[in-house]
Amino acid sequence: MDTLMSGQLLFAALVSGSLYALVALGLNLVYGTLRLLNIAHGDLVMIGAYTAFWMISLFAIPPIISLVLAAALCALLGWAVYAGLFRRMLAKPELAKRVEANSLILFYGISVILQNLAALAFTSTSRGYQYLDTVITWQGISMTGNRLLSLGVATAVCFGALLFLRFHLFGWGLRAVIQRREAAQVVGVNLNRVQLLTICGGFAVAGVAGVLVSMTEQITPFMGFPFTIVAFVVIIIGGLGNIGAGILAGFCLGLVETYGIALTSPGYRSILIYGLFVGVLLVRPEGIFTKAVRS
Amino acid sequence: MTVPMLSVSSLRAAYGPVQVLFEVNFDVLPGSVTTLIGANGAGKTTIMKSLAGLVSPTAGEIRFEGEYITHTASHDRVNAGLCLIPEGRLVFPGMTVEQNLRLGAIAPAARAGHSEMLAEVFRRFPRLEQRRNQQAGLMSGGEQQMLALGRGLMARPRLILMDEPTLGLAPVMVKQVFETIEELRAAGFTILLAEQNAKVALELADRAYLLENGRVALAGSGAELLDSPEVRRAYLGM
Repeated sequence: MDTLMSGQLLFAALVSGSLYALVALGLNLVYGTLRLLNIAHGDLVMIGAYTAFWMISLFAIPPIISLVLAAALCALLGWAVYAGLFRRMLAKPELAKRVEANSLILFYGISVILQNLAALAFTSTSRGYQYLDTVITWQGISMTGNRLLSLGVATAVCFGALLFLRFHLFGWGLRAVIQRREAAQVVGVNLNRVQLLTICGGFAVAGVAGVLVSMTEQITPFMGFPFTIVAFVVIIIGGLGNIGAGILAGFCLGLVETYGIALTSPGYRSILIYGLFVGVLLVRPEGIFTKAVRS
Repeated sequence: MTVPMLSVSSLRAAYGPVQVLFEVNFDVLPGSVTTLIGANGAGKTTIMKSLAGLVSPTAGEIRFEGEYITHTASHDRVNAGLCLIPEGRLVFPGMTVEQNLRLGAIAPAARAGHSEMLAEVFRRFPRLEQRRNQQAGLMSGGEQQMLALGRGLMARPRLILMDEPTLGLAPVMVKQVFETIEELRAAGFTILLAEQNAKVALELADRAYLLENGRVALAGSGAELLDSPEVRRAYLGM
């Protein structure tokens, strides 16, 4: 019981929850505005992680700067994917209707390519580096600097995104596209620009998450897939395309996972995550935080 | 002879292999109410979507205030002063009334002075002001129609395209919609109206076009079409 009440456990839950929320945020933005099921989302996390690793190993550039570099690199990738593949598909109504289903296969292909390119270039040896790993103790809670940084950055990006969506005009346009694409066009939202910037932004967020992950975990070419799965679980729990709820769901999943493992054993991790997932699908398939308003 | 605000010439459009519009020609004069009537599937909504830039025509030309806008992006058309009130209203269901209205002014040309426009819309539709914090998806069909219209006005359009504004509304609301259209004409707006409710729409119209199978079958003043035996038989049940 003591461990359950400890700040230590809460800190661990928040660190993983904020990371889940961040990874899911990018996926949710891309799904919400473009209706693309990005199976390669976790591989962007991998790219971010490698960016951080190579920058610190080769040039001694700290991860805090790699955050920006990884974001830029992944945003560029988003631009390439949109301009090269999806702009034309989304412009044609006949193709646009099938693009949601087709995107799953397309992104699966992109995922395989990215993983194997990474394996080819960097070998499948797991990598890691040390950064801010001294233990700080505050109020009886021991934490490492890198976990604290991860929590801070992930939370800041999530809340920054929420504020942007609520108060910036572009964010309003983005929410309009998520709710009703055609109506957004009718009121004069520049659909093409919203879609392009959202895919860049969504990819960039995944890159940022990758840098954060790399500070505490092993980096391999195949590390991305579990993040893809977690991101899908989170956005389905929160409600597809519902950005704020997705962030909340990310934190919830972190709490359920950490406290669940503390109560049972680490062997139950998958059961806890998928149990929550299946439970939500059974009880509220539209997502736990989605208000049932549809006209 | 007044210069038309909008002129459509030889417009053709298709959904995949199915051609919907064949050689559609019509004009809209500034300050007038122009009505398109016709049965379901005659092509009214396709014309409206082509004008708003949601469907791209396969041939023909659209001119708005002298500029060719046939292939202009939809947001640029809104910015140029052409606004669609879509069929089925398409309000943003998860947003409040006020957020819906503010989104209506997202076009750069409408952003300056959107607060005055909001006050103007609330003056015109007091019901929207009473419900300004209500979720749009929870409102009745008539209220949503008002909201869609108010949202369109927020873009400060010179030409308003209304696609089936009375569809699915109670008779009392239908009457109110037509009253609003008359008020808007009096306030100087130019309106293109697509309606199934042929009688009222023709009574209101300065000019009217009857569409049949994607072609203009008959053109004239509203009164002329009301008197035409073809319209009376097929659309007015007389």
